[in-house]
Amino acid sequence: MIQLEHISKIYPPDVRGLRDVNMHIRPGEFVSIVGQSGAGKTTIARLLIAEERPTRGKISIGGWEITNISRRDIPYLRRQIGVVFQDFKLLPKKTVYENVAFALEVATVASSRIREIVPQVLKIVGLDEKGKRFPQQLSGGEQQRVVIARSLVHRPKVLIADEPTGNLDTISMREIIDLLEKINSFGTTVVLVTHNREVVNALRRRVITLSDGRVVSDQAEGKYLLPT
Amino acid sequence: MSFFVTFWRIFLAAWKHFTRNLWLSLTTIFVLILALLSVNVLIGVNVLLTHATQNLENKIDVSVYFSPSTTPAVLEQARFFMSGLPQVKSAQLLTANEALAAFKARHAGDKKILGALDELNENPLGATLILKARKTDNYPFLLKALKNPQFDFAISSQNYEDHANTIARVQSVSRSVQLFGAGLVLIFILFSVLIVFNTIRVAIYTQREEIGIMRLVGASSSYVRLPFVFEGIFLALIALVFTGTIVVALSAYIDPRLASVFDGANPGLSAYFVGNALILTITEGIALASLVGFSSWAAVGKYLKR
Ligand SMILES: Nc1ncnc2c1ncn2[C@@H]1O[C@H](COP(=O)(O)OP(=O)(O)O)[C@@H](O)[C@H]1O
Ligand SMILES: [Mg+2]
Repeated sequence: MIQLEHISKIYPPDVRGLRDVNMHIRPGEFVSIVGQSGAGKTTIARLLIAEERPTRGKISIGGWEITNISRRDIPYLRRQIGVVFQDFKLLPKKTVYENVAFALEVATVASSRIREIVPQVLKIVGLDEKGKRFPQQLSGGEQQRVVIARSLVHRPKVLIADEPTGNLDTISMREIIDLLEKINSFGTTVVLVTHNREVVNALRRRVITLSDGRVVSDQAEGKYLLPT
Repeated sequence: MSFFVTFWRIFLAAWKHFTRNLWLSLTTIFVLILALLSVNVLIGVNVLLTHATQNLENKIDVSVYFSPSTTPAVLEQARFFMSGLPQVKSAQLLTANEALAAFKARHAGDKKILGALDELNENPLGATLILKARKTDNYPFLLKALKNPQFDFAISSQNYEDHANTIARVQSVSRSVQLFGAGLVLIFILFSVLIVFNTIRVAIYTQREEIGIMRLVGASSSYVRLPFVFEGIFLALIALVFTGTIVVALSAYIDPRLASVFDGANPGLSAYFVGNALILTITEGIALASLVGFSSWAAVGKYLKR
């Protein structure tokens, strides 16, 4: 599903984000990418949605080589990947429903389809009762679930979540992880970026550990390794 | 997905940008109005100068005075010959009595001349042929054509007033007005482009979160861009409507006040702007909308790099 071959990313002028990273993620997998701050986790997420381009190497998603994707094609790529990013918030002046619908409107989806899809995804994240609320009337965990709902509107084959549990308490964190597992159980490939040890250890899924831009371990049923 | 729904969504987004930065939008409209006004003032001044020149050119004529003893047959022959020339626009023959009446009318205030006329018992004037050429530079030819042996013996004198100096002065004023005006228009246009660019940048800044989300959820570049281009075009159209109203009102106000300069005739400013309203609105509208649209398009460009 996701294939990175000899990927290096150098941010101008000479910051090494990633060095010769290789990974292959199969359809339906649930993979955690872990590592300390600055290890290059977010860089991988950005490369996958073509927000950045690799300096060297090859990336493909679902058989589509996106290494040198044209600007015109980027919107189509992004409609196939759900993204949950730290700096990718809800719009405060729109309701929960409108925030989710917005992602469909801007992709020029017909209004009748929007009225079908939005309640469905809100139901998946358990917020079908709270569509009329505004973001500040929700808890942090609920807000994050709206963000996940929004990432699901195009029925993505891949969901990329960068630190989705960032500022959440343990219970909300647990809810988010459960939600990601539920989405994964529908067949969506999930890539979870985190530096939270508890989360990773509780999941018992594949873990790829990054350190200083390199893959230092890749375990099928991994634990969060503390870098020595 | 119907085109109309997409269009409507983009339109709503543009309207939202416009109202969110209302003051900025209004100042931008004000600057656009100034730019449009500068163009229209230049057009108006040109219309006035053209009319002034035409007015002067219409005054040019050659009066041919025949001796009082000239027979009607010779007069008629002269009129017939001259009016047959392609360069002649009109050839008006005044009989001796009409010439006298016209002379008296011209000197209505002058007691001395009228008194002198009354002392004479008979009409001292002969018939007069008044010739107008189609073009100002036809007059030398007309003067030559008058040397026709069939009637030139009967011509007692002729009077050619060419107003050449006045016309030359008006034309030189026209040229400097055009040059100065074009410079002014250029400056105003440059300002408007820069200010629209800036306005759209501010609009983008206030929308940066939406834009970030739109890009990440896969909105196409044009979907992000078009509301801003629309917003620019909105501003242009509003400015156009205001300018149109101002220009029509202003020219109606100016016309009667300039009538004296045109010997009491209507300067025709209002008539020009009303008569050409459609073509002026369309050309100025298209020019402004494309300038502004392009400026807005460029302003969003930076945000769409990735
Ligand atoms: N836009 C950027 N410009 C320059 N350097 C960057 C940029 N983004 C990330 N980096 C650098 O690349 C390295 C990896 O960053 P990142 O992928 O954000 O790490 P992580 O998400 O694991 O904390 C860091 O050294 C960071 O400073
Ligand atoms: Mg990060």
